[in-house]
Amino acid sequence: MSHAYLRGTLLLLLALVLGFALMGFEMLGSRYLYPYFGGGINTWASLIATVLVALMLGYLIGGALVDRTMSPRLCGGLLVVAGVYLFTIPLWVDPLFGWILTAIGDGMAGIVFAATLLLLLPLTLMSVFTPFAVRLLLVSISFGGRIVSYVYGVSTIGNVLGTLVTTFTLVPSFGSRALTMVFAAVTIACGLLMVVADRYLRGEEA
Amino acid sequence: MRIPRAKFFAVALVAAVGGLSSSFGGLQAIRASAQEAGLLEKRESLYNNIFIFGDRDQVTMTFGQNKRYYTESSMKLSDPGGLTVDYTRYMTLGVAYPEKVERIAEIGLGGGRTVSYLSQTLPDAGILAIELDKDVVDLAKKYFKFRETARLRTVVSDGRAYLLKDPEKWDVILIDAYRGPFVPFHLLTKEFYTLVKSRLNPGGVVVQNIEPSTMLFDSATTTLKSVFPSVDLYDGGGNVVAIGYDAMPVSQTELMARAARATERWKPRYDFRQMVAERRVLAKPTGKILTDDFAPVETLRAIEKNNEKWKEQTEAPR
Repeated sequence: MSHAYLRGTLLLLLALVLGFALMGFEMLGSRYLYPYFGGGINTWASLIATVLVALMLGYLIGGALVDRTMSPRLCGGLLVVAGVYLFTIPLWVDPLFGWILTAIGDGMAGIVFAATLLLLLPLTLMSVFTPFAVRLLLVSISFGGRIVSYVYGVSTIGNVLGTLVTTFTLVPSFGSRALTMVFAAVTIACGLLMVVADRYLRGEEA
Repeated sequence: MRIPRAKFFAVALVAAVGGLSSSFGGLQAIRASAQEAGLLEKRESLYNNIFIFGDRDQVTMTFGQNKRYYTESSMKLSDPGGLTVDYTRYMTLGVAYPEKVERIAEIGLGGGRTVSYLSQTLPDAGILAIELDKDVVDLAKKYFKFRETARLRTVVSDGRAYLLKDPEKWDVILIDAYRGPFVPFHLLTKEFYTLVKSRLNPGGVVVQNIEPSTMLFDSATTTLKSVFPSVDLYDGGGNVVAIGYDAMPVSQTELMARAARATERWKPRYDFRQMVAERRVLAKPTGKILTDDFAPVETLRAIEKNNEKWKEQTEAPR
């Protein structure tokens, strides 16, 4: 197997796993929000909007960063920060959401604010990965279209699996807090892998 | 780097077709139901597909889901004050438990028959119905003769969010919040019942309507029992009504005496004493306690069980 093939596979695997964790955590987000803001279409709208804002910010920031420095180590570091943030969520989520409910209420402002605190930072940092992966794989302009389609396609397959497996298998079997820890650990592992394999992922022989 | 392209597109295609066909199925269900005889009104609200059926003497509110209709409320036009759905009579028994009943809250209005009955029966009590769906309130007024008064008010809110925001206390909290076939998970957890307990005056009770045909029943009663030391269960003709309170079980003699006093005072149409005679006390909770962290309600609901099986977990009151 060629070096480029392995490197591509590794980056796409990371895209798959991070895509899984990202949507998996969105589904878990509903479990955190329901007790305070109800389980209606309002909660879902706020959740989905927040995730989309995080993706947008992540893509913009990722694109700007990777053009400045093509550093897998930097991307990995951001993923570690995202994972650590996820880890802390079970510690503060209940008192904070209780406070938001009394201070702001359960209207759009309250739910969006709660969803933002819950998801925006970690999901933004996780989606920084996508433009990094595209740039790292982009060896020639003539493959550009396919590189972009593979990265987005594979990460979307991860999203789909994360949504379905989390909802139909994980949430009915494990607690939301434990699952949050697992997604946090997976995100940190992906980040550390990128830090450790920095030179390899740049395309230099390790 | 290469990905098997055919496989990639096949997966994407299957996902897309799956999504389309499932939403198409939903549309068909709604269209078919509109042709049912006796449909007075169909309303797609923010939360539910509400169908009002009626004939010459009866009007029924149902929520449609999975091509089935789940009855939320029913009323006889010739006898609007009666409680036609059996379990709702047992819901009213909650007011016989406390020493005083000045404030009653209900989560889940439906057609508003239970609170209307209580408002007429207890002329001094203030009642608040907390209903998530504004359209349910509108339809209760339109078809079920539900009228708000100074003593009977409604607020449109999620039940748990309302209790969290509002520190007022109640003598009786009724919980009848079904969305079609199920109760949202956040109204079944230990944290929720702990909140309910904190919103009860001393001697207050929580009354909940629970459907007994799945494993979710066992978990719901077990969770209730983990917060309220005493849980009484009443067979409400299909549904089970659970009454929880924060004290050791009241003796049957004492509860019967309270029921007699309440009957004498309010002269309710449905005699509390007859209901107390059917009391069962939850003694052996066998379910798993549900928490905000882990409440696999969908899984538990998928495991069906004998409707009468719950009685094995109870004993006769002493």
